[in-house]
Amino acid sequence: MADIATTALPSQPSSPPRDRVLQVLLVAAVVLTALKPVLPDMLIRLPEAWIPPFAAWLDAFFEFIKGDPATGRFGLMTLTRWFAEGPLDFLLGFTANLLEGKYRWPFLSDPIPWSAVAVVGAVLGYYLGGWKMALLAGGTFVWTAAMGQWEITMETLSVLAVAAPLGFLIGLVMGIAAWKWKAFDTAIKPALAVMQTLPFYTYLLPAVIFFKVGPTAGAIATTIYATPPMILMTALGLKKVSPEIIEAGKMSGCTRWQMLTKVYIPSARTEILVGVNQVIMLSLAMVVLTAFIGMPGLGGKLLAMMNSFKLGRSFEIGVTIVLVAIMLDQMSKAWVHKLPQHHEKGTLWYIRHKYLLAGVVGFVFFFVLAQFVEYFNEVGRRQSLSMGREIDDVIKGFLNIDAVQATTGFIRYILNVWVLVPFRDALLWVPTPAFILFMIAFAYALGGKRPAIYAGVFFGLVALTGWWDRAIITLYSVISAVFISTLIGIPLGIFAARSEKWANRILLVCDTAQTFPSFIYLLPAIMLFGITDTTVVLSIVIFTTVPLTRYTIEGLRAVPIEMSEAADMSGCTRWQKLTSVQLPLAMPTLAIGFNQAIMFAFFMVIIAAFIGTQDLGQELQRTLAGTDLGKNFVLGINVSLMALTFDLAIMSWANRRRKALGLA
Amino acid sequence: MKLSHLMSAATLALATTTSAWSAEDSSDPIVIPIHNWSSQIVMSNVVGQMFEMMGNNVEYVTTDSQAVYESVRLGDVTLELEVWEGAFGASFRTALEKGGLHDAGDHNAVTREDWWYPMWTKDACPGLPDWKALNDCAHLFATAETGDQGLFLDGPVDWLKHGKERAEALGLNYVVKNAGSAAALWAHIGAAEADKKPVLVFNWTPNFAEAVWPGEFVEFPAWEDGCDTDPAKGPIPDKLYDCGNPADGYLKKAAWDGMKDKWPNAYEVLTKISFTNAQIAEMARLVDIEDYEPEEAAEIWLEENEEIWKGWMPGGAT
Amino acid sequence: MSTDQPVISCRNIWKLFGPDPRAYLAAMTPGRSYDEIRADGYIAGVKDVTVDVARGEMLVIMGLSGSGKSTLVRCLSRLHDITGGTIEVEGQDIMALAEKDLIELRRSKMGMVFQSFGLLPHRTVLDNVAFPLEMRGQDKHARRARAMEVIELVGLGGREEYFPRELSGGQQQRVGIARSLAIEPDIWFLDEPFSALDPLIRREMQDEFLRLQGMLGKTIVFITHDFDEALRLADRIAIMKDGAIEQCDTPDRIVLDPQTEYVRKFTEDIDKARVVHAGTLLTPVNGHAVDGPPVAAHETIQKLARQLVNDERAHLPVADKSGKVIGVIERQKALDVLLGGA
Repeated sequence: MADIATTALPSQPSSPPRDRVLQVLLVAAVVLTALKPVLPDMLIRLPEAWIPPFAAWLDAFFEFIKGDPATGRFGLMTLTRWFAEGPLDFLLGFTANLLEGKYRWPFLSDPIPWSAVAVVGAVLGYYLGGWKMALLAGGTFVWTAAMGQWEITMETLSVLAVAAPLGFLIGLVMGIAAWKWKAFDTAIKPALAVMQTLPFYTYLLPAVIFFKVGPTAGAIATTIYATPPMILMTALGLKKVSPEIIEAGKMSGCTRWQMLTKVYIPSARTEILVGVNQVIMLSLAMVVLTAFIGMPGLGGKLLAMMNSFKLGRSFEIGVTIVLVAIMLDQMSKAWVHKLPQHHEKGTLWYIRHKYLLAGVVGFVFFFVLAQFVEYFNEVGRRQSLSMGREIDDVIKGFLNIDAVQATTGFIRYILNVWVLVPFRDALLWVPTPAFILFMIAFAYALGGKRPAIYAGVFFGLVALTGWWDRAIITLYSVISAVFISTLIGIPLGIFAARSEKWANRILLVCDTAQTFPSFIYLLPAIMLFGITDTTVVLSIVIFTTVPLTRYTIEGLRAVPIEMSEAADMSGCTRWQKLTSVQLPLAMPTLAIGFNQAIMFAFFMVIIAAFIGTQDLGQELQRTLAGTDLGKNFVLGINVSLMALTFDLAIMSWANRRRKALGLA
Repeated sequence: MKLSHLMSAATLALATTTSAWSAEDSSDPIVIPIHNWSSQIVMSNVVGQMFEMMGNNVEYVTTDSQAVYESVRLGDVTLELEVWEGAFGASFRTALEKGGLHDAGDHNAVTREDWWYPMWTKDACPGLPDWKALNDCAHLFATAETGDQGLFLDGPVDWLKHGKERAEALGLNYVVKNAGSAAALWAHIGAAEADKKPVLVFNWTPNFAEAVWPGEFVEFPAWEDGCDTDPAKGPIPDKLYDCGNPADGYLKKAAWDGMKDKWPNAYEVLTKISFTNAQIAEMARLVDIEDYEPEEAAEIWLEENEEIWKGWMPGGAT
Repeated sequence: MSTDQPVISCRNIWKLFGPDPRAYLAAMTPGRSYDEIRADGYIAGVKDVTVDVARGEMLVIMGLSGSGKSTLVRCLSRLHDITGGTIEVEGQDIMALAEKDLIELRRSKMGMVFQSFGLLPHRTVLDNVAFPLEMRGQDKHARRARAMEVIELVGLGGREEYFPRELSGGQQQRVGIARSLAIEPDIWFLDEPFSALDPLIRREMQDEFLRLQGMLGKTIVFITHDFDEALRLADRIAIMKDGAIEQCDTPDRIVLDPQTEYVRKFTEDIDKARVVHAGTLLTPVNGHAVDGPPVAAHETIQKLARQLVNDERAHLPVADKSGKVIGVIERQKALDVLLGGA
C-alpha cells in the first residue's frame, strides 16, 4: 500500500528550488548561530538605542482618541462612557435585579427564588433534549443552590445574560456585513485573527478605561472576546444557503429586507446557532479572567478563595462553572438540532403549548412555595452542602502521599534540570537574526512563501519592540508544552478512536478539562512541582492536550470506511493500517488540532504568569496595575504576532494537504 | 432574602437613630471596591453596611487591587479601604499625583511586609528570627533547582519587593524567585506543611495566613529612612536595601475627590473609620476560619463590636 | 394586447460569465463558437437564443447538464441579468424593470418550481405555500385560505402542518408546485421539477402535472434533461447544447426530422410511433378516397397500430376531433414510423 503522506503532490513540480531555498535559509541560520562568539553585539540582540518607543507612541495615540472627560474634549471615551453608564448599565441592572437583587429597575425587593429558576431550567431542558437534559439543567441549578453558590452564580449569569446576547447581535450584524460586502470581509479578517490571538490581559485594561470598572467592563471584555466566532459562523451560514432557496425567495417576490429576514437568516439557522453556542462557551471561559476588572460572581469568588488558600471551595466553584458550561453547551447544541414538530390538526391548545404551560405552572408553584419555605427561596451558607474543608483534606492528603511526592519530585528534577532549563537557555543563546531565520525556514517548509514572509515580518517586529528575551521565554514554554502534549494527546487519541465508547468518554473528559477554570489546578500544580518551569509547562500541557486528543479522534473517525476496508483487504496489520492509511489521511485534521494546541498554549502561558514566570505574561500582569495602555498593547501584540506566525504556517500546510488528498 | 431580612431588621432596630442622621447624601450608590483577600472584603462589607444604615445605597465591585486607584481617581469607584504602604503605596502615589483621589486618613493598624517563615521552620533552624542565621540554614531551604543555595520565594514582581537586592546586599546565600501571585505563595507554604519542610517566603500582616500557619518575620537590620536610596544608610556602608522593610507601615483609606460633596455624611464617617490589627484579624478569621460569607461576617462583626463603630457614625461620640 | 402575441419573447439573448461580459460581448466578432469564447475566458451560459412562448403553450427546454437550460430559464425570470438581447414578457422589456416592478411582476405573474424543491425548512407546508402571498402582504386569513386551496389541489390536504423534512421527495415537490401556484401566476417556470424523484414517483408526478395543466392551462416553460419526459409533456421542445438552441419544434417533428446530428442522437432510440401523431403525417386529400373509417388526427401512430396493420387501403382518411375528414395519411409511411423502417 502506497504511503499517501509521501506520494508527490501535484503542486510539487517546483519542489527542487523550494528545497534549495530552505537549505539556504537553514545554513544561514546555523552559520549565524555558530558564529555567535565572534558576532558584533548588534547582531546578537537589537541594541536598545534602535528600539522605537512603540509604547509611548501608542500611549499618545490612545490619549488622543480617548478624549478627556475632565476637560470635556470629545473622544471615543465620551461615547463608550455614555454607552456604559446608560444602556449597558440599565440592562445589567435589570438582569441583576431579577437574578440577585439590586437597586435598579424593575426594583424587585427580592430576586427570583432559586427553585423557580431551576424548574424552568428543567422544563426547558426537557423540551430541548428529554429527561437527560432536564436532569442536567435542573441538577445544575439544584447543585448551585445547595452548595450555597446561588447568589454568586446569578451574579455571573446576570452579566452573561447581557454580554452573550450583545455578542450575538454584534456578531450577527457584522457577519451579515462581511457576507454582503467583500471589502468589509477582507478588512475584518486580519482584525479578527489578531483579536483571537491577543492575550486577554490586553482586553482588560482598555475595557476598564473605556467602560468603567465593574460589570460593565466585564460585560464588554466578555463580548469582545466571544464575538469573533459568531461573525465567522454567520457569514459562513449565509454563504451556504442553497441557491434554490434563494431563487425560491426571489421568485416569491421578496424584497431585499424580506430576503434577509425571512429567507437567509432562517435558512442559516444551524450555523447561526453554532455561533450562539460558541458565544456562550467563550463567555463562560471569561468568567474568571474578567474578575480582574470587576466582573462579579463566580470568578471573583474563586480568586478570593484561592488567595486564602481554600482549595476545596475553589474546586467547588470550578465544578459549578463546569456544570453551568456543560449545561449551556448541551442545551444550545440541542437547540441547534431541535427541529420543529407538527401537531396533528385539532390538537388542544394546552397540549400544543404543554412545555410553556409546564414552565409557567412550575415557576408559579415554586415562587409561591418559596414565600413560605425559606429553603426554596435561598439556601444559607450554613445550610449548604459545601464540603470545602473535606475536599481540602482530600487534596492535601493526596498531594502528601509519599509515592506521589516521589514521582513528582523525580519528574520535576528531570524536566527542570535536564530538559526545560537547558532548552530555554539554548533558545535564549541563539542570536536574534538567526532565530528569525529559523522561524522563516520553519514557516517556509510548512506553508510556503507567504507564511515565510509573514514569519520574518512578525518576528522582526517582535525584535523591534524590545521584548525579545521575554518573547523567547514565552515561546519556549509554548513549544515545550505543545511537545509534551503531543506525546500524550496523540497516542491517547489513537487509543480512544479505536472504539466508539472510549472515544465518547475521552471527548467528555476533553470537554470538562476545557471548561474547568485553569486557575484552579495551578495551586495543586505548584504544590506538586514548586514555583518552577515544570509547573508552568505542565499546567499548559493540561490545556493543550485537549485539542490534540480531540482532533486525533475526529481525524481518525473521519477516515472513510472504504479506505479502512481497502487497507484490511490489502492485508494490513493494525499498525500498518494506522501508519500507512489512517494517520496520513487524518493529518490535515490533526494539523488543525496541533494549531489549536499552539493557540491554547499562547493563551494559557499568559495565565501561567500567576505561578511565576519571566515572560511576556508577567510584564502584562504588571501593566494591569497602572494605566500603561501602550505597553500593555505592545506586549499583547507580541504574543499575537508569534501565535499568528504559527497559525498561518500550519493552516496553510493543512489546507494544501487537504486539497492534495481531495478532502477539501 | 434571608440577608435582606436580617438587614432590614438591623435597620429597623436602629430606626430611631437613623432618622436623626438623615442627611443630604446623594441616592446614587456608593461604589466600594472588593479585592481578593478576605479581611478587605469583610471590612468593605462592614463599612458598606454602616453606610446602608445611614440610608445610603451601596454597591460592591470586584476589582484588581492595583488597578483600583485609577478607578477611584475617575470616580468609578468611590473609595478604597485598604491602601497598604508596601504593596500599593506606589500605585496610590501615582494616582495621587494625577489627581482625582486623596488620602482619607490612616487606620490604627500597622502593616508589615517582609521575609517570613512558618513556625515549624524554626525547629530546623533555631537561630531564627535573626537574619544572621539564614546563611547557616541555607541548605535547609535548597530545592532541586537551586543547588546548595537556599530558596526565598518573593512576592510577585509588581509588588517591587527588592528581595534580590537585599539578598545580595547582605551576602545571603539564597536564590530569590518571584511568585506570580499571592496564591502561589500559599501553595508553596501549603506544600511544605505536611512534612514540616522549612520554607522562607514573602508575607505580610494583617493577613489570614497568620491564623492558618503561625509564623514569624525574619528580623533584618531595622529600617532607616533612605535605606532604599542612600547606600550610607543601613549597616553595610556601600549597599542599598541592606535593611528590613518598615515594621510599622501605614494602612490608609483613600477617597475619590467628589465623594466629599456627593455623600458628605458618608465621607465624614469614612474619615473617622480606623480599624486595629486585632479587628482586621477578627474579620479575616470569621471568613477564613469560621467559613462565613463576607456579608454574614460583616453583620456578625457589626453586632459584636457596636461600641466601636457607633462612635464613628454621625452623632456618635467621637 | 392580442392573444396571439407571445407571452414571452426572446430576441438574441446572451448570458456570458466572466470578468467583464458586457464589454466582451460588445467587442466580440459575431459567430464565435462556444469553445472559442471559452478560450477567451468566458462561459457562454446562453448563446444567442431567440424563442417565443405562446399563451397557454408548454415549451419544454431539453438538454444535458451544462447545456445552459437552467441558465436560460433564470434569464426568463430575471434571476440572472442577461448580457445581451431582449426579453419581453407580455410586451414588457423585463431588463428595463426597476427592482420594485420586477418584484411586483414576480408577485403577480410568475411562479417557479425548483429541482431540489427550495422549500424553507423552518416553515410548515402551509407557511411555505403561503410564503409568496405573505411577501406581497396579504392578510393572514386570506393567504391561509388560498394556500389551503392549492394544497388540496396538489393532493396534500391534511399535511399542511407538516414540516418539509417530514415529507417524502414527491410530497415535497407537491409543496413546491403548490407554492408556485399560490399567487395564480400566468407564467409557470419549472426547473427539472421531477429529476430528483424516483422513476415511479416521477411518472406519477408527470401525470399529476398533466392533470393540473389540463385544469389550469398556464403558459409554461419546463426544463428537463429527460428526453422521454420532454416528449411526453411538451407542445414544443427546444433542445439546447452549449448555450444555444439546436432545434425548437413539436415533438413529432423533432423525432421525424432532426435538424442536427446532436438532435438525431437523442431521437435514435426513441420509439417514434409513441410520439408521432396521425395529424403530423397528414397530406391533402388530393382525390384519394376518403370513405371508410378514418383515423383520429390526435392519436399517436402506436395507438393506431392495429388499425394501420389491418386496414389495407394505401391512403387512410384522417379526421379531427369533430369527426370531419381533414386529409389523408399514406399507410406505408405510417407503417414505417411504426416499425422503424424509415
